[in-house]
Amino acid sequence: MVTKDEIVHYIQNIPPAPSIVKQTLDFTRAGDLTKAAKCAEEDPALKLYLKTLVNRPVYGFRNEVTDLPQIFGILGVSTAQQILYNYLMSVLVPKKWDLFELDHHAFYDLQASLSNKWTKILSHLGLLNHDNESAITLLPASIIVCDALFGTHKHEVEQLKSVKSLDYNTILFRLCQLSLFDICNEIAKKWELPETVSRVVHASSGNDHNLNPTENVLAQWMHLLLFFELSQSTYVSAGLNEFIEFKIDFVQDIYESFMQVVEYDACNG
Amino acid sequence: MRATVKGRVAVFHPQGFLDGNNAPSFLTIDDIRATESLNIDMLLVSLKKVIFFNKNGLDVFIRMLINMRNQKHIAVGLCDYDSAKFKTIQIFYGSNLNFSLFRTEKIAELFVATNKSDPKTILLYNEDPSQRSAMAIELFDYGHNPIIVQSKKEFEEKKQNPDLYYAIVEDTYLGLFGQKVATRVTGNAIIYTIGNFLDAEIGNTFNIAYHNNSLNVGFRLFIFDAYKVVSMNVHALNFFTKLASSAAEYNATICFVGLTFDKTPITFKNDLEDAGMLFFDQMEDILKNKELLQELGGSSATASKKTRSLTKGLINELPGFIDATVSTLVMMTNAKAAKESMNIQTLEVKDSQNQYASSIGFYGDLDGMIILIFPKTVAKKACELLIGEETENEEAILDSLAEFVNIIGGRAKTILGEKKNRVDITLPRTYSDVNSLLEMAQNKKGVQVDLSFEGSHFTFFLTR
Repeated sequence: MVTKDEIVHYIQNIPPAPSIVKQTLDFTRAGDLTKAAKCAEEDPALKLYLKTLVNRPVYGFRNEVTDLPQIFGILGVSTAQQILYNYLMSVLVPKKWDLFELDHHAFYDLQASLSNKWTKILSHLGLLNHDNESAITLLPASIIVCDALFGTHKHEVEQLKSVKSLDYNTILFRLCQLSLFDICNEIAKKWELPETVSRVVHASSGNDHNLNPTENVLAQWMHLLLFFELSQSTYVSAGLNEFIEFKIDFVQDIYESFMQVVEYDACNG
Repeated sequence: MRATVKGRVAVFHPQGFLDGNNAPSFLTIDDIRATESLNIDMLLVSLKKVIFFNKNGLDVFIRMLINMRNQKHIAVGLCDYDSAKFKTIQIFYGSNLNFSLFRTEKIAELFVATNKSDPKTILLYNEDPSQRSAMAIELFDYGHNPIIVQSKKEFEEKKQNPDLYYAIVEDTYLGLFGQKVATRVTGNAIIYTIGNFLDAEIGNTFNIAYHNNSLNVGFRLFIFDAYKVVSMNVHALNFFTKLASSAAEYNATICFVGLTFDKTPITFKNDLEDAGMLFFDQMEDILKNKELLQELGGSSATASKKTRSLTKGLINELPGFIDATVSTLVMMTNAKAAKESMNIQTLEVKDSQNQYASSIGFYGDLDGMIILIFPKTVAKKACELLIGEETENEEAILDSLAEFVNIIGGRAKTILGEKKNRVDITLPRTYSDVNSLLEMAQNKKGVQVDLSFEGSHFTFFLTR
């Protein structure tokens, strides 16, 4: 099964953020979207990623958007920052998923859907700022890490789960005293993400204590949002519903408001 | 999504939101096939981690549950909900509620047969008197002591002392229950409760897999509590005669208690006696007569007088069984285990104190039993992943040890399956006192393999 050595090896192999992406992020954070777009032009992979992502149905543009300054202008500072972090995440996305039955499109749709709903949630909570908006981009890293660590142990996990309902995060913690979210924090450190981002994402596992009230609220909403998304057919079929333990008690008091914010129709399906 | 199996109960654990759009994704055709192949008495869907559900979502699971019940004659239902969810489910299904509802998984487990013989005291209340009675009868038939409360007020008063009860049964509903013959364990005897008119249907409602399991793991006395039997026909007679023949192979005894012959032909009694069945008027005639109990094989799980020798086929599979054991231990602990010695002998255990033991049998194309004996420290270490925290609670450790042995049994079954040997595995049995295992295995010759694990030793024993 997964060992501490494997985790250390995985963390060591996380690539640092490419310099062009870092510069683009710096310009974006400073609010200079023109320079950010110019900088992004130098990285063909980033350019292609931005064009492909922005033109996916989830962003709802009627006509194809191809010009980078136009893309940055449409997105605005916060969303551009979110998308750049999502691009960084794409560096970690495996060519072939071993544990979860996902493909690139399904994963990018998950990133986009999480980002869109998270922005709505932050507006509702009155907590909209660049760092809070970026926090959601780190969350899917936990899925990538889980697939990377457990992909070669799929059969063993199946046997374990046949006698006890255990999620991957719990199995990892019991074996190595490290959670998937601890490893996300390591990624955040390597990519120099703000500490508030990694604290909120870590707390969204529902296992953290000693949080300040704002962090606690963000963690609750992020936890419920994650399970809302992981309850969609595509992700249930991919096996993501069993990825971490859903803590109902942690989110019970925000449930009614959440349903309104995400405009969930209880008669759905 | 695959069901988790504990004892003879399988449970699905969906999380998050459950509606008509996503519910079908939880159950693929492979998942349904895997569930069909399980040897279980009850199949449940847990709502513990479901924050939202609607009727369309539940219907997907309910349809699967009802199909499974029709095919396998097992109890099916939902579990792990609060009072609000219980009311919602009742509103959704109204008078069409034909599956069961158990407030917790722990309550559900009280309504199925186990290998354990400790009766539990259970506080029970339901507004509907017929439900109250049905639950009380089922609980009693499964060997428990239900305390039935007649009014809500009295129930609320009694609930104030939860420590007095193993479980408090409320917000629970039995739908189409009693499809299987109820089974309980008393000491080392197994008691089946049968009633009404017995016909060919007994072949479906009697859990033959459980009975075979029990024979394989060493039970030798089986009692049919037949006080409630009105009569039986020739098909039921044939069924019991065949059961007696298979029991004879294991030197086991089958008794009927309380069966009257007012409406059952007396010739049936003669036929059953010829097949080796014994008849008693009262349960106490057996259970309180120690000498008789010993003679019938119910005083201990003693092995049959005929010892069954190892076969070449079984010996050929030994490396696979050892590999299944070692690899499971490695998987659960990330530590290494190594083989030290291997001999054909009767089971020999040094320092039987401070050890736990467990056994699991398999039967089919090959039959045999794997016995594992661990120092308590190794057993705890092996189960840490399942328990999640350090504990001195012996019951929790033994329960996890049973789960651990079940994984080994599952692996052994897979290994045999790869070589086209189809086998079923029995329920695992655990022993806090290794001497009672030694008593059962005393004359059995087998292959004893001593293994080392982080400086400690543990024993693997394969026998028939």
